[in-house]
Amino acid sequence: MTAHQAAGDKPGPVRRLTGAAGVSLAAADPAAPVRGSRGRHAGPAASPPGAAAQRAAVASRMRRGLAACRTYPLATTGGTIVVAMAAFCFLGPLVYHTDQIHVFLSQANLAPRSGHPLGTDGDGTDELGRLMTGGQVSLELAAAAGVLAAVLGSLWGAVAGYLGGAADAVMMRIVDAGIAIPAVILLLLLTSIYQPSTAMLVLVIAGTSWLSTARLVRAEALTLRMREYVQAAVVMGGGSMRIILRHIAPNAIGTIVVNVTFQIANAILILATLSWLGMGVQFPGVDWGDMIASATQTISDGYWWEILAPGAAITLVVVAFAMLGDGLRDAFSAVGYDAVPATAAEADRPVRGPGGR
Amino acid sequence: MTAYLARRALQAVAVVLLVTLIVFGLIRLAPGGVTTAVLGSGSAHQQFLAQYLTWLGRVLSGNLGRSARLNESVGALLAASLPRTLVLTGVSTVIALLVAVPVGLLQAVRRSSAVDHVLRGLTYLCYGMPPFVLGSVLILYLAVDWHFFGAEGPQAAGVGGVIADPRDLTLPVLTLALVTIATFARYMRSSALDSLGQEYVQAARARGGGERRVIVSHVLRNSLVPVVTLIGLSLPQIVGGALVVEILFNFQGMGWQIWQAAVNHDVPVTLGFTLVIGVAAAVGSLLADIGYAILDPRVRISRP
Amino acid sequence: MSGQPSGPVLEIAGLHTEIRRNGAAVRAVDGVSLTVAAGECLGLVGESGCGKTMTARSVMRLLPAGGVITAGSVVLAGTELTALSERNMQTIRGNDVGMVFQDPSSSLDPTMQVGRQIAESVVVHRGASRAAAAARAVEMLSLVKIADPERVARGYPHQLSGGMRQRAMIAAALACEPRLLIADEPTTALDVTTQRDILDLIGDLRAALGMAVILVTHDLGVIAGRTERVAVMYGGRIVEQAATSAVFAGPRHPYTEALFEALPEMASSQPASRGLYSIPGRPPDLVTRSPGCSFAQRCRYVRDWCATHEPALDGDHPGHGYACFFPVGVTGRARGAGGQDGAGGGVTPVSAWVSGRGRQAAGRAATAAPASTAAEPLLRVSGLVKDYPVAGGVLGRRSGAVSAVADVSFELLAGQTFGLVGESGSGKTTVARLLVGLERPDAGAIVFDGADLAAMPARQRRQRRSGIQLMFQDSFASLDPRMRVKSILSEPLAIHQTVRRRGYRRQVLRILDEVGLPADAENQYAREFSGGQRQRLALARALIQRPALIVADEPVSALDVSVQAQILNLMRKLQRQYELSYLFISHDLSVIRYMADTIGVMYLGKLVETGPAEEICTAPGHPYTASLIAAVPAVVTGPEMTRPPLAGTPLAGTLSAGTLSAGTGQPGMAALPGASGPPAAGPDPAHPPSGCRFRLRCAFARDVCAEQEPALRPHAVRGQLVACHFPLGPATAGQVAGQTMPSIA
Repeated sequence: MTAHQAAGDKPGPVRRLTGAAGVSLAAADPAAPVRGSRGRHAGPAASPPGAAAQRAAVASRMRRGLAACRTYPLATTGGTIVVAMAAFCFLGPLVYHTDQIHVFLSQANLAPRSGHPLGTDGDGTDELGRLMTGGQVSLELAAAAGVLAAVLGSLWGAVAGYLGGAADAVMMRIVDAGIAIPAVILLLLLTSIYQPSTAMLVLVIAGTSWLSTARLVRAEALTLRMREYVQAAVVMGGGSMRIILRHIAPNAIGTIVVNVTFQIANAILILATLSWLGMGVQFPGVDWGDMIASATQTISDGYWWEILAPGAAITLVVVAFAMLGDGLRDAFSAVGYDAVPATAAEADRPVRGPGGR
Repeated sequence: MTAYLARRALQAVAVVLLVTLIVFGLIRLAPGGVTTAVLGSGSAHQQFLAQYLTWLGRVLSGNLGRSARLNESVGALLAASLPRTLVLTGVSTVIALLVAVPVGLLQAVRRSSAVDHVLRGLTYLCYGMPPFVLGSVLILYLAVDWHFFGAEGPQAAGVGGVIADPRDLTLPVLTLALVTIATFARYMRSSALDSLGQEYVQAARARGGGERRVIVSHVLRNSLVPVVTLIGLSLPQIVGGALVVEILFNFQGMGWQIWQAAVNHDVPVTLGFTLVIGVAAAVGSLLADIGYAILDPRVRISRP
Repeated sequence: MSGQPSGPVLEIAGLHTEIRRNGAAVRAVDGVSLTVAAGECLGLVGESGCGKTMTARSVMRLLPAGGVITAGSVVLAGTELTALSERNMQTIRGNDVGMVFQDPSSSLDPTMQVGRQIAESVVVHRGASRAAAAARAVEMLSLVKIADPERVARGYPHQLSGGMRQRAMIAAALACEPRLLIADEPTTALDVTTQRDILDLIGDLRAALGMAVILVTHDLGVIAGRTERVAVMYGGRIVEQAATSAVFAGPRHPYTEALFEALPEMASSQPASRGLYSIPGRPPDLVTRSPGCSFAQRCRYVRDWCATHEPALDGDHPGHGYACFFPVGVTGRARGAGGQDGAGGGVTPVSAWVSGRGRQAAGRAATAAPASTAAEPLLRVSGLVKDYPVAGGVLGRRSGAVSAVADVSFELLAGQTFGLVGESGSGKTTVARLLVGLERPDAGAIVFDGADLAAMPARQRRQRRSGIQLMFQDSFASLDPRMRVKSILSEPLAIHQTVRRRGYRRQVLRILDEVGLPADAENQYAREFSGGQRQRLALARALIQRPALIVADEPVSALDVSVQAQILNLMRKLQRQYELSYLFISHDLSVIRYMADTIGVMYLGKLVETGPAEEICTAPGHPYTASLIAAVPAVVTGPEMTRPPLAGTPLAGTLSAGTLSAGTGQPGMAALPGASGPPAAGPDPAHPPSGCRFRLRCAFARDVCAEQEPALRPHAVRGQLVACHFPLGPATAGQVAGQTMPSIA
């Protein structure tokens, strides 16, 4: 109990996160034994004071987490919705059992009612159950594609930014050219040529999305390269590897993490669009886009639930990821990262003078 | 400034060439002798580069090929669909700007107020809602339920016919505009917040006069300068959105044509249309930079 | 608003301003009362965060987000401003009160023509027509002595130099002829020669327009001789307020006294061994209110009484108020136990520049003597050249070059300090970057410890880098925000693997102790430290490798005076301890003079003068050096000392600006004494003038200066080299140093 109180007395993480000016040396001192490595090593010994310290550490971590949530409501809300939607899609079917395989034409296009809280679709499948299984496909593919795009783009951008000069110019013109062709059209082109298997779909979506990340990370690498702490490392005699691994990568991570969330949001939208166009997940797989596609066929019949339910699901997840990204960006800039641009367009913001590039 | 723009134009040419290379390369990689469908049987034994140059030479002379499915040249199809798409994207972009600029500015001026939060929520909504969902919902209520507007885009040929049919044009334009507003308003908000934080705004306030004057003559102009760039950079996204809207509303513009061509493996059409759009986007980005240079005296007039 | 002309223009009483953010309220202004009489100039002095800017902004009611005036009154010529509606307040701003901001490059709207911005207040308040507004803008521009006002009015801010932008700002603030001008750090962002011109301009306009001025600044030198009264702020309150001459002659509040003693110019008045006085601790955080005197925790004369009782702002005679129970300089006062007895009896600040004995000769000679006997210098730079290509044309090909460093040579002995001084754009930072290997020179040699670094291959050079270390101006930017202090400090060890990994911690703790930081700092991030502490960290990182030479690029220019004193003292202590050499770069001649044994003066990439610090500061040979010295705001007792009549100066002969009558229209030349404007486009390093690069701004330039480039030639004293065809004689220069040079045109 006393340990808890002691933990409560020490400077809260809120000040650490919010106060850019920082906490004074003296004030932060009492926190050191608990937070530092010594506290963690004391844990396994499980001696009473060690256990108390551990409990205090857990409590303080929880307190810190809560305080961070209060400071960044946007990220918290977004993150909560993302987790809730994932739980809904992956855990929901364990609770809510439906038949997603057979067709029940007698049950087709029923409006929401007891037994079918969100109604049924044109095949007589339960809409709520389909939302769950469809969501699994959407979320899995989008997460894979989003992460892949962010990784690809980061590597490309970092290499271009670090090399500079002619290599940079060539690499970025390629990105410019790729961005000039609308992603949807490029995807139509690709999916009409290659029969889209699931893996291919992920590759193709990532293959059109990485471009914006590349621009973003290149801009970040360019600024970081000019940072004084990087120059200080050069003066100390540090080599390229050290500078990239110890200074540039840790400082660019904020930009990349934020970008991953936006890439996933974007991948959900693109995947849904492709499926809606009939070029997405192939039968018998079904995702949210497919659900809307079949509903738009019968739109004049006014089956509103068949559009609203998957439409709301897509919108909710995309908005949640965007909020998470915006919130993370705020959080990152509060703890000393650069203001992370959300999109490649924003990365282009700084005034481009005639001499500048 | 001339040197700057000339350099930018040169870059744009390089980008356009790369666009042709990417588009052609993708087609070339496709299995099933697609290239011969485009270039004719004589090209089957040629190397990639030779094929590319042959094709590029034809494109540069204005010959985009003939549709494999319809008895029409790609150029003719383009001539029929391009103006329709221009009307759709043009009108909705103008509407989006007219809404997004004041909305973003208002959000920035009333930062963290209830107005800001509500508008922010709405822009999130527009950002997260795919155009086919948004469009479907609009159709569902405004067309199917209440019969305010048509559920399909104008079917008349030609620009005049399209504009003369506002009842059918409204929903496609509205859908595309709402999607675009989300991007523009978010951007305008952060741009205006940026300007508001500048010292010259404080200095302008110190000279007296109402806040409205300060906002209009100092904040607005400075915030709009980067938005101009955004319009140029957003061209691919707007065209991509237009594709979905055109398909949803059965509006026979470029996007609709590309989709038809893609579904039916009509390679010459896909190739030709994609190329035109890619070039347009590269040119759009160049135009944005020119607009930027005109708006920002720091670029327009370099130091003597 | 037609108040009584003789009464005070501004009367602030019990003003409290809070800034509420994240649930905490910062009491930025905590009970400030002051008056400004018509035509009077009041100086508001204090370090950053003391509330001086918030006081000024409270008058304008232009507070940052979350700022509220919670109590008190602000009366401007009979009108209570705090009670006005926002709409009515808008008719006051720019009309009755004008404001000039710190950074002229960010306070002018980049997309609006200069003339329109200047005339904005006339349009707003007087409803001027377009033509009338344009005419007024031109009129105002000529009033602030800008040549070719019609052209400038049509131009945009980015086309103007920094000094001209600030003139334009002043013109905009004065367009409606306000009763009161608030100048918030108007010269902090400007070069020292420009600073003097701008301050003179404000002074002249005050006299011409009969307005009152509040000059907000952190720089006591700016206040001296330009204000009638001074208010010193600390922790949101005024701690001392009196006539300027009275405060300069004998400050009463210990904080004011400490500010004076922290100035490098004041080094002469203190015992040599002590270095500069620096105020321990940190300013109060203004969030939690503690009883007693807010300065008590940092005061060297503090007594028990001070911690529990709050002193009021009163004094021994009217006109001199101070908030202290045990003021400095009062007879019979016993110094506190912790006080410095050596500094007892108060200080009598006089200009070190005038007295001429700025350096503690004894202390410095001790360190300098053994080093000078060794013939071989630690560092010998010869013929250093660096050009930066200018991209131009359609393909971005190299179309020209900016000559950043042009043929610079100097030597530095072990254990000594070479001070490099010059205005922005003079190439001093490029010299630093060349020395530490961040850039490669286009020509020249950098012989360090017997080996030519410039000729060395990059890999070999990297291994030798531990011998030369760099301190950046912005210590925050130079410390990786993602690293804890222990990683930051052990990084050089890890790179060169001079110490085993398990030895890092011992080294880190030792170095932290040496730079005066607590051991538990090792687990913290750079953002958790104050500016001074960060600069200590930067010094520690440079030092941990035991370098022979530290290149310090403006290490204290971002710091407050008292913190600056701490860092300068620390640097000198470490120099004695480790026989360190410094290449100390600064725009501030007084800091350079305090630190350096030898000085080099740079102008537009050229070293125009070099020699022993003391001699150069008292008897400069180059006209540029002389004008730099003259532009240093002197901390002197009376206004008459800074601005002697120019006619009396021996140098103000044929070509001096002083003899030009107003409106001669000579481009770039001022109409009033000492208020000349720089040329429309400042010296362009891409196209340096032929011959002597300084000739366009030199009052002594003749034909030969344009034809022949002057070489560095020996001058008056041993070791003094001057690159000038017509160097100043020892006799004339001696006078110049304390007086006013014909200002740089």
